Amino acid sequence: MKKLGSDNQPRAGANRRDMLRLMGGAGLAGTLVGRPGFLLAQEGFDWRQFAGTKISMLMVGGEGDDRAFADLLAEFTEQTGIELEITAPALGPLIETTLQNLQAEQSGYDVISFLGFLTTQQVGAGFYDRLNDYIENPAITPIEWDYQDFLQPALRNVGIFNLETGERGVGDDVYAIPGTHSGSVIYFYRKDLFEAAGLEPARTWDEFHAAAVALNSDEVAGASFIGANDFSLALVDWYTRFITIGGQLMTGSPQNKDFMPHVDSPEAVRALQMMIDLLPYAPENVTRYGFAENVDGFSTGKIAQMIFWSTIAGPIFNPENSMVAELTGTGPVPADEGQVARAIQGGWGISIPKNSDPAKKDAAWLTLVWFTSKRVNNYLVEAYQIDANRTSSFTDPALVAKFPYLTDALAAASTAQTLETASIPETFQLNDVMNVEFNSALLGIQDAPTACAKVQEQWLAMLRSAGHLA
Amino acid sequence: MLFLLGPCVLYLLTFSIYPLIYSLRLSFTDLDAAGGGGDWVGLRNYANLLVDPQFWNATRNSAIMVLASVTIQIVAGVGLALFFNLHLTGSWIVRGILMLPMLMTPIVVGLMWRALLNPDWGLVDWAIESVGLNPPDWLGSVWMAMLTLVLVDCWQWTPFVLLIVFARLQALPQDIFEAARVDGAGPFVIFRRITLPMLMPAILFAGLFRAVDAFRSFDLVFGLSYGGPARGTTTLAFFAFQHGFQFQNYGYAAAISYAMLIILIVGTAAILRYLRVQPVDRS
Repeated sequence: MKKLGSDNQPRAGANRRDMLRLMGGAGLAGTLVGRPGFLLAQEGFDWRQFAGTKISMLMVGGEGDDRAFADLLAEFTEQTGIELEITAPALGPLIETTLQNLQAEQSGYDVISFLGFLTTQQVGAGFYDRLNDYIENPAITPIEWDYQDFLQPALRNVGIFNLETGERGVGDDVYAIPGTHSGSVIYFYRKDLFEAAGLEPARTWDEFHAAAVALNSDEVAGASFIGANDFSLALVDWYTRFITIGGQLMTGSPQNKDFMPHVDSPEAVRALQMMIDLLPYAPENVTRYGFAENVDGFSTGKIAQMIFWSTIAGPIFNPENSMVAELTGTGPVPADEGQVARAIQGGWGISIPKNSDPAKKDAAWLTLVWFTSKRVNNYLVEAYQIDANRTSSFTDPALVAKFPYLTDALAAASTAQTLETASIPETFQLNDVMNVEFNSALLGIQDAPTACAKVQEQWLAMLRSAGHLA
Repeated sequence: MLFLLGPCVLYLLTFSIYPLIYSLRLSFTDLDAAGGGGDWVGLRNYANLLVDPQFWNATRNSAIMVLASVTIQIVAGVGLALFFNLHLTGSWIVRGILMLPMLMTPIVVGLMWRALLNPDWGLVDWAIESVGLNPPDWLGSVWMAMLTLVLVDCWQWTPFVLLIVFARLQALPQDIFEAARVDGAGPFVIFRRITLPMLMPAILFAGLFRAVDAFRSFDLVFGLSYGGPARGTTTLAFFAFQHGFQFQNYGYAAAISYAMLIILIVGTAAILRYLRVQPVDRS
């Protein structure tokens, strides 16, 4: 039986090419089984051992995975004989429905996908089964499923949890598998504009700002970012800048009741100030720009560079919808000298509720295995350019040839950092406070030091009220 | 009788009374997503509300929303009703078109206007710029976003006031107006001394109805401004939504909802009491 173990942390100054070379080797095996239409099969493995079982899956709707799963449903049923019903509400109702089911006497869903930011809230509360025995059981887990192929940061983010100490990403106990998608943030830039100006893609934040100044014109904004009071304002643009200039968001731990925020540190203020300083070179209404506005702006050639979730590579590189499909380059996010270029760990986990029907758990596991397989991950990338959860999907030669951004997306996913405040249930509330104050700073209502001080004050109050800080 | 009332009573108990009692109990607990059962904490949620600056911010925004939008809707609705009471040729067509916004779902109205007011590709800004003017930043500044919210609410619900007042206008006895004209009263005097007092019950009904609705408004805020920028359009309903569905602080969200109910009861009672003590103008 396979034994599971934990992975190494990314080290500062890691050579990206070496890392990719290692992963390419792991991905080579993935090429053989990742081709669309190739059914996972190994001699002696009985895919139809649970034929006739009815399984219910709860996952998020509107992020593309639900469409991909719907596309593959007939194939799944044909191969396994399992009747699968997928429920895919939007994020808010999904969280509500999930919590209701997890706290009920018996869950109405046999497989549930949850947002990575809620790992502590759900996995940490002991709502999901420990999956080690499933993973190590060759009777219900085909060898080709290849547990080691999953992105290790994603696994640590959603699946590996120490229930005794309440620590995420520590130990060998696995409670969820990365799925439906993972992902982090990468750098998008207009190759043509940079070449015309004699500039190289920005590697540091000073270069990013200099490029924004040089490339800004009436037709094209030198840079853009999420400036609206939006979930990703703090998590993508501010947090990426913050950690890549040496910032540390939290010290201590909730368990020790010394979980101290540092949102008013010099790095925190500087990260916000960098965004404020970009305002003259950003789209005029950038303080109202969220996800859609930035994607639209970049796709229509109105933005020279930005950092963003790698998942937007799909629409940007799609020649049918994008005016800059052939003109866009990608790379790692900028970082100060000596800092690792990295961003926030995004993504989802998928698992089996502890209170689901015991008679169907093995069938539920097989369903989970099928939908987190290499074949499905490759399909996610090829059909919808959704960030996969497996290294092999990012290194598949056919996919990389078609979507060159995958190389940078893999590097980003492999070095991504889990948001520290995701280890407590108040994640969204803390994030909301930050988004409001930072948006106010971008609107000119207050300056960066004041905004950060206000966030710090509110966070301290909330952490003390919740018992995470004495 | 019991047999006939039974289903209705059962429905009320199941879908009105029980949820009310359950949510009231919830407001006295600290139930949240990670907490599980939720322990009894008495009035702590309500005490926290009173010292929560975000609660007072939401209360202030709700008050602005109610006062501004209801005032505009009443004035515009009565004006339109009087205009349509002239029965000009084809006015019934225009009246019908004006009713259309009222038939739309508020969330759709919010999303539609959000798109129309988009600064990059929205129709409204394009139209304004095409005549050489600079469009305002509709949802970009705190005070402008609130004004936009009020105007969109007025766009949708002024027809409701128009409908109520116009119906009342049609039912007014005409002999009083004839007598006034015979006595030499001009249009303004007729309006101020006869029409307006006789319309007052309808105006007050429409105003009260709209005030309660505006106070509870959530979907328009959600679709149009999402409570921003900088919580500038976060109303009490949106604030309750955030705590209940975004932060999963169910106990606190229930307390916010009951605070809203208390405000509504007190406000409505005050208005109705005011209506009762006002003498009827019999001149």
